[in-house]
Amino acid sequence: MLRTRSFLPPLLFTLAYAALSLGVTNSYYQLILTLVPVWAVFGLSWNLLSGYTGLISFGHAAFFGIGAYATALGQIYFDISPWLLIPVAAVLGGIAGLLIGFPTFRLQGHYFALAMLAYPLAILYVFEWLGFQEVTLPIKRNAPIAYMQFSDPHIYTLLGLAIMLATIVLTQVIERSRFGMALLAIKQNEAAAEAAGINTLAWKLRAITLSGAIAATIGGFYAQVLLVVTPQSVFGMLVSAQALTVAMFGGVGTVWGPVIGSVILIPLAEVLHAEAGDRFPGIQGVIFGFAIVCVILLAPEGLFWKLRDLLRKRKAPKAAAADVPETAVANVTALKPASQQRAATGEIMLEVKNLSRSFGGLKAVQNVSFKLHQNEILGIIGPNGAGKTTLFNLLNGFLKPSEGEVLIGGRNMSGQRPHVICEAGIGRTFQVMRPFLRMSILDNVVVGAYVRARSDEVARKLASDAVARVGLSAVADRLAGELSTKELRLMELARAIAGQPRILLLDETLAGLGHGEADEVVAVIQQLARDGTTIAIIEHTMQAMVRLVDRFVVLDHGAVITEGLPEVVTRDNRVIEAYLGKKWVGHAAN
Amino acid sequence: MSKFTLSRRTLLAGASGTLIASRAWAQQPAEVRVGLLVPISGMYARPGTVMRHGAEMAVEHINAQGGIKALGGAKLKLVVLDSGDSTEKAKNAAQRMVAQESDLVAASGAYLSSFTLAVTEVTERANLPVLTLSYSDLITDRGFKYVFQTSATAGSQARQALPQIIKLAETASGKRPKTVAILTDNTAASIASAKSMREGLLAENQLQLIVDETFTPPLADATSLVQKIRSAKPDLLFFLPTVISDAKLLLEKMNEFGLGQGKIPTISFGIAIAEPDMLQTVSPELLQGVLTCVASWGAKGHEALIAELKTRYKEPWMTQNAISTYGDMWVIKDALEKAGKADRVAVGEALRTMDAGPSKYYPLGEIKFDEKGRRVGAGMTIVQWQSGVPVTVFPPELALAKPFWPKS
Repeated sequence: MLRTRSFLPPLLFTLAYAALSLGVTNSYYQLILTLVPVWAVFGLSWNLLSGYTGLISFGHAAFFGIGAYATALGQIYFDISPWLLIPVAAVLGGIAGLLIGFPTFRLQGHYFALAMLAYPLAILYVFEWLGFQEVTLPIKRNAPIAYMQFSDPHIYTLLGLAIMLATIVLTQVIERSRFGMALLAIKQNEAAAEAAGINTLAWKLRAITLSGAIAATIGGFYAQVLLVVTPQSVFGMLVSAQALTVAMFGGVGTVWGPVIGSVILIPLAEVLHAEAGDRFPGIQGVIFGFAIVCVILLAPEGLFWKLRDLLRKRKAPKAAAADVPETAVANVTALKPASQQRAATGEIMLEVKNLSRSFGGLKAVQNVSFKLHQNEILGIIGPNGAGKTTLFNLLNGFLKPSEGEVLIGGRNMSGQRPHVICEAGIGRTFQVMRPFLRMSILDNVVVGAYVRARSDEVARKLASDAVARVGLSAVADRLAGELSTKELRLMELARAIAGQPRILLLDETLAGLGHGEADEVVAVIQQLARDGTTIAIIEHTMQAMVRLVDRFVVLDHGAVITEGLPEVVTRDNRVIEAYLGKKWVGHAAN
Repeated sequence: MSKFTLSRRTLLAGASGTLIASRAWAQQPAEVRVGLLVPISGMYARPGTVMRHGAEMAVEHINAQGGIKALGGAKLKLVVLDSGDSTEKAKNAAQRMVAQESDLVAASGAYLSSFTLAVTEVTERANLPVLTLSYSDLITDRGFKYVFQTSATAGSQARQALPQIIKLAETASGKRPKTVAILTDNTAASIASAKSMREGLLAENQLQLIVDETFTPPLADATSLVQKIRSAKPDLLFFLPTVISDAKLLLEKMNEFGLGQGKIPTISFGIAIAEPDMLQTVSPELLQGVLTCVASWGAKGHEALIAELKTRYKEPWMTQNAISTYGDMWVIKDALEKAGKADRVAVGEALRTMDAGPSKYYPLGEIKFDEKGRRVGAGMTIVQWQSGVPVTVFPPELALAKPFWPKS
């Protein structure tokens, strides 16, 4: 139901656009109406990769150009119809995506963007060298329709619209599926995504393959509209820039962004060119650039998000009274002192043997061994720089140990990639929270659920269960950006448990919380333990920890200095010394 | 937006309105509209603007001499459209031209070959005749009926140039050149010219290639290139730069090594090396003697035009862009006289069948087009930098100055 309803707006938009197009008889306006969906689709293909994963591609013209040249050259040299060539172009674009993505995804951030910039420029020179400076599609006076050459320009617009509708629907399906969630998770925090069980490289490759295929499809269609293909017109810098311009103007990371951008910018540029350019040659570029600068300054994330924020704000005051829940902690039992200690006698869930890791000369973790029993809450404490987070990174696969073993359920998993370890049943949270602010709490949590879920429905079910367990059900539909620190911490927790881990690694989950708030979070963690999750938690504030954990492992300078029950550990001189220095050992003894 | 949502009825009314209007025009021919679709914004704005100057001058001259006599002295009216700086913009502008300037009888355009290709895809389908100075053979290889190429095509230019250079060398120095060096950058146009020379043209003309160097612009240092040329001492140097700074660097180095100012005759292709912009970075002394083969140039018989261009538009000399576009307007005028009506299909037919004798504004050949739309006998000119001005020196019937050639 939800699904069909969400396809209604693009369908209505397409129908309205088609009706508008059929009403236009001026062939020039019709050409502009054809170019709008062309650039919208190109923007959408860029958005599919860069909008959702946050990996900015400056080189989408590579795929666009491959599609255009495949369609043109296939007609010239093999006399194949574009009806066939455009799907072939899509396949070629997909392959190009895979070939480009595989080496380039080793890079991140600016380096990725710059590497992508190089591809179309390199291919441009190859095509010039091959002697394809100017390629024109042969005119087919006998079989125009078989070669996609229509005397009625409306048909081009309708074809462009069909491709656009298909791309919008495809993007929407992806946006809501495991695919889209994985991409969004990569955008927020690639490391966290890996930790949540997402094979980031595989999803990124799928994204660039699909994105390349869409870009090549529309490139092929563009060749058919323009009838002339030159390296500059399909591989040029301005072509790549066009994808960024329409998507960033309209809104990044949403299906409507590139569509809005294209619907506004393409006709605007043309009207300026036609009206102002005749009187003051070149003025159109100035006005166009100025307009884009203004919009980017006022709506840095694009028009779509700005408008949505404005609408939400207008709606918010009315709804506020009714909607805002009293408290987030609804179904969590109140805090009890951790009196009923769980004995450390259960099955061994995780065993760490002689684990070491050095960074150059620094031994961040040295020869650490401990065991984690079923249903236990193990506190890992130590002063700043003791190697606690490094230890977690070794456990969940972010770092490879220099020496030693990590046995999960008896299997040695040291050196495996994070998503593999996550699949083996280890979930974790992070010291620094990286929620996706524009997504609802539930959507944030769904990301973590896919590791255990075969289908989207199961994932949603797992996610809402997890949200309920941390007590956020009442606010599950609110955007993460509107939450307090405590609610974000709980949300992170929910994301970690949505994948139903047997072992949960919590990295400073209580950091930044006030007293009362910390108690609420502690209550949730205790409840999780009671429900059967084994937990290891890092913290350097002793107070909350003493009430929470069953057993401590104390690290200092990367090594275990002691372990045992809370009351024993807190009186241990070595612990006091590590935390407070030698001077205080005497005081403590008194 | 209201423009987009016209109902069918208003459109019909509009269409019949135009019909009535055009009939009214036929009875009282006030003006005949001619299009000029060239880049007047973006990176090609300068050549496009010069084309506009040429067209404006021609229209003024035609009107001053009584307009189109076959249409009762109707005046020509120039409609300028900006093709912008990309193929897509050029195509959009062409679509706008045929959709909104429906009464145009012919047009000229669109400077760059790729623009012309895209533009003529549109105009062909709208039966609008287009004259072009673009070289690409492809323009008239598509079987189109409404495109007319006034310049020799690239393929033909390559074949014509070498014998002409040799003839020039023989007349100037009395000696036939035997050895050549090619120094080219690796941009598309240069590569294409160099390739046709290497693959047959040099051999056909009994020339021996003794130095063959390709470089990537921008050139950092020309010393090693010039040293090679100095030690090989070719009779001719074909130098094909695209970037002005490369031309400057090499010419300076040649001068430093005592090879400059025509000591080794230096020959280029295309108008890049003879554009007025050259003088902004390269001194006239360095350019002295450099030759280039172009499809058209201000030549003998155009003295008054060159002077008018200088005073009116402050252009130092008349490049191909100005003189060719000037000529286009006169060809359209001739076609209108022949057609006898202001109708694009009739003008197209007139252009295909016309035979207006020897060409006045394009080099050599006639005002007559073959079945492909190429001008019959289209020749080319050789231009030489002399005292800071590139002047036509060949063929002799068009030369404004005598070529100079080292006697050694």
